[in-house]
Amino acid sequence: MKKTYRILPVYTGDVSGAASALYEFGGMTVIHDPSGCNSTYNTHDETRWFDKESLIYISGLNDIDAITGNDDKFISDICAAAKRMKPRFIALANSPLPYLNGTDFKGICRVLEEKTGLPCFYVNTNAMHDYSKGQSEAFLSFAKKMLQSPEKKIPNGVNIIGMTPLDFTSTKIELSGYETVSNWGLNTSYDEAVRAAEAELNIAVSSSGIASCKYMEEEYGIPYIKGLPWNGRPFDYMDVERKPSANYIVGEPVISGSIAAYIKIKTGIDYNVIATTEITDGLLLDCDRKCHGEEELEEALKDADNIIADPMVKLISPPNANFIELPHFALSGRLYLKKIPDLLKPGLYCPGI
Amino acid sequence: MPTSSDERVRIGDAEFPKPFVNGLEFNAPVHGTWNIVHIGFRIPEAHQIYICADNCLRGVVMTAAEMGELGRFSSVVLEEDDMTHSGRIEETTIEGVTDCIRKLPKIPPVVIVFPVCVHRFMGCDIGYIYKELEKRFPDVIFIRGFMDPVMQKRGTTPDQRLRKAMSDIIPKLPAKEDTVAFAGSDMPASENDFKKILELNGLTIKDTADCRTLEEYLSIGESSLFICQYPAGLMAVRAITQRLDRKYIYCPLSFDFDTVEEEIRQSGLSVPDRFFEDGKDACMAELKKLKDLIGDMPVAVDYTAVPKPLSLARFLADNGINVKTVYLDSVDGSEKADFEYLQNNFPELILHSTMHVSDRRPVRSEEKVLSIGQKAAWFEGTGNFVNIIEGGGLYGFSGICEFIRLMEDAFNNSKDMRDIVPRKGLGCRSCI
Repeated sequence: MKKTYRILPVYTGDVSGAASALYEFGGMTVIHDPSGCNSTYNTHDETRWFDKESLIYISGLNDIDAITGNDDKFISDICAAAKRMKPRFIALANSPLPYLNGTDFKGICRVLEEKTGLPCFYVNTNAMHDYSKGQSEAFLSFAKKMLQSPEKKIPNGVNIIGMTPLDFTSTKIELSGYETVSNWGLNTSYDEAVRAAEAELNIAVSSSGIASCKYMEEEYGIPYIKGLPWNGRPFDYMDVERKPSANYIVGEPVISGSIAAYIKIKTGIDYNVIATTEITDGLLLDCDRKCHGEEELEEALKDADNIIADPMVKLISPPNANFIELPHFALSGRLYLKKIPDLLKPGLYCPGI
Repeated sequence: MPTSSDERVRIGDAEFPKPFVNGLEFNAPVHGTWNIVHIGFRIPEAHQIYICADNCLRGVVMTAAEMGELGRFSSVVLEEDDMTHSGRIEETTIEGVTDCIRKLPKIPPVVIVFPVCVHRFMGCDIGYIYKELEKRFPDVIFIRGFMDPVMQKRGTTPDQRLRKAMSDIIPKLPAKEDTVAFAGSDMPASENDFKKILELNGLTIKDTADCRTLEEYLSIGESSLFICQYPAGLMAVRAITQRLDRKYIYCPLSFDFDTVEEEIRQSGLSVPDRFFEDGKDACMAELKKLKDLIGDMPVAVDYTAVPKPLSLARFLADNGINVKTVYLDSVDGSEKADFEYLQNNFPELILHSTMHVSDRRPVRSEEKVLSIGQKAAWFEGTGNFVNIIEGGGLYGFSGICEFIRLMEDAFNNSKDMRDIVPRKGLGCRSCI
């Protein structure tokens, strides 16, 4: 049964993804939820608490307010918190119960804007999707609400879009001839993030950056490419042809595709991507595939010779396959936190390649 | 008296039992307390199955993973179609749980099933689900858990109900007069006067928090007396003693000597000569040592450390220890007398909320503070803290002595707070 998990954990959820994406942007993110989502995010999906503060809260929704659709407390609590904490904007994230009772978040945003004078936007989550979807929605909503046509462009200015600790540990991207305008959203700030429209190029380093890159292309004429930069240059992993093989990289498609392309260029060996996160449209080559859930992934790996994946995937991999561990925080969380490599240095985590 | 809209309030100005206004909630990155996953694993050989949406599932599955217990954990993911099709949520739950059990190398004797808030709001027919599961797996004991935090603001919490559900499977066995059980706590009884007295009386001691096998757990049904020392376990202990027609004593860790003496006397257990006098003397001697050691160093206490934080604050303050702050969000009804006493005698004592929006930017003083509990340690930003939750299985004069020794140790030896407090479930295995 596709919906059951016997061995693997699920990926970080969309609500956590949204909170992670907006963590450093200077706003106040409010998850409309009793307490579960916040605790999950706080404990398992966020690493920055001790080094950087962020205004992330829950509404503490109770059964009566959920049943009666009482939004007044939610609104007044947010107004009180905003007055006190003075965020640059307010973002609201949904969870299963408000999703079920059809809470009008866009309407609430309008009321909050009137009452607080702050920009307010809704991030379309419901706790039933993975982090990539939540991050994508958060980045896109932020872009739509907060970006403005720039007065000037920064020559060779580039934005890194789709980078959070759920996928990345480092932001050290060396791009010769380019100036980084903003990073969405690791080691960054509100002031940097809102300057994104001044860039001349966007680089989507994960699938969660694609939607906002497309938006910025349409709205501000900023072209984008997708993939991790290699050798100091922006690099579109889809440009490297790969053939079907029994070597697999399991994980997020843009990162996995970029690593597969790197290996192909470096060694000529074909690795196929098995994308296990949600956003894959236009991000896979014909030799790649998408898998949903533990059962499908186990089946897909049956003929594997070589596997690059999070160590937990080893538990459902054929015992005779060669396994290269690439811990992924959005899957195994804190279990392998100290072993997560800098994705931008593939020589370190693919030593045999 | 108005409830405070600030994150801190002098106890002299505070309102009982809710000193703070409800609002948006902050969650400190401190996780030593137990959740329903930790609690469920207290039943040996039990398998847990959660049926919920991705984001909700993530927290519980990673709890199990960090405990190294994924082999006893399965999950069923609910998706939008389960919400929009009539009858689908029951079908997904039944078929999902069935699939999880059938995929296990061996059918477990006990399965704890956790539906969630969504099941309640969809009007899901829970009775039908268990009827069907029990038909499919007649040899499995199903425990009816629930992960529904939306219900916890009023009435009982999911963990209180889980403790009760876990006790519901303990059978009524012939009572053995020489057998007594500690029940309802997560921490096994340690430095504990009741444990000492039971041992002195030659009685057999059982503990729901310390069973090695399922058989041992179920044999708790032969206990003639139950001792509950944790408030969240009281509902379970009341239910099981009523069902089995047994007696129970409720005695959470208190720092009031008279309360301890009265509780032990009321138990009817035989107590050695000078037990109370010697116990009190030992506590006072230990307390003097502590005072000599820490002098006027400020002390902070949090509600996760002990069941009765105000009883502790009162005890320390009455004995010359400079208690500065108690971290809590509400005051339990059983602490009303301590609250009023502190209000009248130590009005400058600060009550500090642990989930107020301002707590996201805690203001930490330069002053060195000795903290009791992980939350107090985090808020005060100190490594000098007593790393304890739920009273740590301590009770009575021996428990108080041990507690004071832990404070002395915390003063003398700084801990790596940043490494310790993010770990979940103090006392459980942690693989991070």
